Amino acid sequence: MERILLYVEDTPGMPTAIAWSLKLAKGMSCRVFALSVIDPAAPRRREAQASDAEESAWSLLYEIEDDAFQQNVRISLLLESGDPLSRLVSLSSSYDAELIVASADCRLTTSELVRQSSRPVVFVK
Amino acid sequence: MARISELLPRSAIVLNLQSKEKFEVINELVRPLVATGAVTDEPEFVSAIVRRENMESTGIGLGVAIPHARTRAVSSIVLAFGRSDAGVDFNSLDGKPSHLIFLIAAPEEQKTEYIMTLARLSKLLRMDEVRIGLNKAGSPDDIARVILQHES
Repeated sequence: MERILLYVEDTPGMPTAIAWSLKLAKGMSCRVFALSVIDPAAPRRREAQASDAEESAWSLLYEIEDDAFQQNVRISLLLESGDPLSRLVSLSSSYDAELIVASADCRLTTSELVRQSSRPVVFVK
Repeated sequence: MARISELLPRSAIVLNLQSKEKFEVINELVRPLVATGAVTDEPEFVSAIVRRENMESTGIGLGVAIPHARTRAVSSIVLAFGRSDAGVDFNSLDGKPSHLIFLIAAPEEQKTEYIMTLARLSKLLRMDEVRIGLNKAGSPDDIARVILQHES
């Protein structure tokens, strides 16, 4: 395996999914693509909240990047806008990811992700 | 936390990068940071940047790259900016050359500030009007003004 696509959301279970992905990537010498998706349809009261959401997403991505760097794991960061499920499925093909990893408490409809994805999916709890 | 515009000395703004290759560009941008005194050990800092570049793509797409390192070779967070008309290959995922290059240097112990600076700068540089402003700017003061205008 050469490429893992890690779906990133700010949920309580995310640190476990990150740690699991980095450990797997290190063990298999593969690259992690860390993907965060800003959903423009998500309810936000003000434009400032959308801006905060983007800053928070970048912040989490760079935290993961720093952890990966400390562990000698190769990583690329992706921040996208759109429907999270469709972007995740689409990018898993674009980047030819061999595995999708998400936290078990992510906000995606997990059954839909498994149904739509042509790649293996692991939910980490 | 300091604003991006406060972390970017005018002396570390290079409007016309002479270098064409990634690591030459990094060296060109590190020199003014050494002159400010914020980068205290140039070889160690360059080595940290190179190590990161060899493991990651710091090209974030849209013609932008943000090489960065957090190391003991830096005494305070500081940025350098370089603009390249020809573009430089930073292995961006979109496959396009980078024309706007921000280099971030941070001390080892300032992880939170470092992450926040990266996040705020990345958000800023995804704004079309910021990239257009930086591409059009005619002086270091113009560069600083564009950033200051769009910082929230």
